[in-house]
Amino acid sequence: MIYIFFAIWLAISAACFFAKSRKVVHILCGLYMAVHTIFAAMLWLGGAYLTSSGGFFTFDELGTLFYALLAVVATFVLIHSQEYLKDDKITNYRNYFALLMLLITSITGVYFADNIAVTWILLETTTLCAAGIIYHRHSKATLEATWKYLFVCSTGIAIAYLGILLLSAAASNNSLSYNDLQQLIANGNPLYLKVAFLLIITGYSCKMEIFPLYTIGVDANFAAPAPASAIISTALVNAGFLAIFRVYRLFAETPVFEWVRHVILLVGVLSLIVGALFLRRTNNYKRFLSYSTVENMGIAAIGLGVGGIGVWAALFHVVCHTLIKSSLFLQIAVVRQVYNGYRINRIGDYISINKVGAIGLLVGMVVVLAFPPSPLFISELMIFKQAISGGNWLLLATMLLLLCVVIYSICFRIIKLCYQPNQDELHLSKINRRLSYSALSLIVAAIVLGLWQPAMLSNIIDKIVTF
Amino acid sequence: MLLSLIILYIITLIYISIVERFRNYATIIAYQGWLLLGIALLRLHTLEWLELSFIILETLIFKALIVPAILMRVIRQTNINRVKSSGTSQFNSLMLSFTALVVSAITTYYVADSSVHMIFFGVALYALLSGLILIVLRSRIFSHMVGFLVIENGVFLFSMAIGVEMPMLINAAIMLDILMSVLMLGLFMTKVDDQIHTNDSDSLTHVKD
Repeated sequence: MIYIFFAIWLAISAACFFAKSRKVVHILCGLYMAVHTIFAAMLWLGGAYLTSSGGFFTFDELGTLFYALLAVVATFVLIHSQEYLKDDKITNYRNYFALLMLLITSITGVYFADNIAVTWILLETTTLCAAGIIYHRHSKATLEATWKYLFVCSTGIAIAYLGILLLSAAASNNSLSYNDLQQLIANGNPLYLKVAFLLIITGYSCKMEIFPLYTIGVDANFAAPAPASAIISTALVNAGFLAIFRVYRLFAETPVFEWVRHVILLVGVLSLIVGALFLRRTNNYKRFLSYSTVENMGIAAIGLGVGGIGVWAALFHVVCHTLIKSSLFLQIAVVRQVYNGYRINRIGDYISINKVGAIGLLVGMVVVLAFPPSPLFISELMIFKQAISGGNWLLLATMLLLLCVVIYSICFRIIKLCYQPNQDELHLSKINRRLSYSALSLIVAAIVLGLWQPAMLSNIIDKIVTF
Repeated sequence: MLLSLIILYIITLIYISIVERFRNYATIIAYQGWLLLGIALLRLHTLEWLELSFIILETLIFKALIVPAILMRVIRQTNINRVKSSGTSQFNSLMLSFTALVVSAITTYYVADSSVHMIFFGVALYALLSGLILIVLRSRIFSHMVGFLVIENGVFLFSMAIGVEMPMLINAAIMLDILMSVLMLGLFMTKVDDQIHTNDSDSLTHVKD
């Protein structure tokens, strides 16, 4: 079944490359999302949920949960992009949408892949699609970001591939499907498993935007058009998280699982340190939001590292972060329309220019900082609880200290944008308050999750973390 | 025979750490392509003929012919011939390369068991480290591109160690390898040279905090 959908999505994306007018591009986008709706309906209502497809894909709880988020974010991004790029030439315009659709298709594949090699192949294809989107503006800076993105991601993915090969060697080359691997590596050579995990997490870190290859995601978000950054910083990051989480689950039955958890914990803490420090340093709002992603993914990695309820919290954190960060990137896209830039030191007074947008950013600030009723408050509290019950006081102290730095940096920057005197030229005619309202709705959805977690969501996460 | 080819491959990795002329880089990448072709023939001869011919053709056309040809064209087009004179000396590079070789050998010794062809693993690890050393030590973008190709060749070599059992894996790796490398070389030739001076990587410092 999934191959038919892939064929349709690819055909629509290919057709978009040859669209003659914006209207045709819009129709193709609508068609593309309609096919996604049919796919989602088949998953939930057509009985495809929890079944396998095509030998290499499975519609399990983990993939389906992230796919639902992708579908929501993609809809918003496609709509916002149409407004954001309305002044672009038709060739740039259609290429952007075609690549965006290809990227969404690749990410969908990553979510449902049931084979570690297929996950790897599809992650590599996300690099190709994302590179095209990053180069959208055709400027010197975007070219540099594209070159770096291609270069570092390719090197990272090659390193991950080496890890996968080693894992398959530990499994005696029998199968690379996740279910088979879990049993095959249970008694594998511990040293093989350790080296394989190190290589895989290093390689995939470029996608999940965690230490050590986090920089490339920051550069990508900086150079890509802001609505596309909403996808790169959430859905694509989730693809990296999911790829690492599936490997993490593989190792649960192995004798090196304790060691694996320590490595993830270390990576998480280092990501949190980097995120917290660079949030203070950067002078660009898009890079600023990207470092916030690094920081949040670091927290999710710490959740996996501490284990217990921390794993549940990590998943919940990533789910809610998707809604919050996509909303903030979409709000910042409106900011760019007004100021024609993202310079932290120069732009300001947003509250009197676009009240809805400013409220969206201020509420987003509160929610991303995990103040109640933010859902991140719940996930971070659960991680703290697990750290305390494990007697990990040093970790707790480090996290609290770094989160103080994060709170100061984010409050300072967002309040500055809303209230400091503006020094840049304004383009008031470009304000579109409907877009601000639309982005605000994602934050509202996140707050609802903070106040009330539907039983269905809790059950799905419960099942995912039971391994 | 297989061992001789692998030893020759290791020699190319040592040599690449001391060369300074870009033509030599391109020549070494071409040699590595031919060596990988020979290793693939010897290592994978038990595969189905269709799978084997697919892998052989891809290795021959792409790794041995097209990539070196593109590198030569880049050198002619950009008129850059050497690594930067202010870069690390040949002696230091050689010492680092030897250190990487020793680290790879020791790691291989400790990791060794019967389930993977350890020589392939050791050489692949050495190739990975050599590529990274090249990227870190040399400042010109062209050297970084060569470093990436060295890493890709190393991964390809290791995938052959288990490719006998899993030809699908190796095919997928080669296909993507081709796609990525062609895309990067294409970008390098058509865009980077026009907009960013290929003289050194200092030009790649606009996107930062």
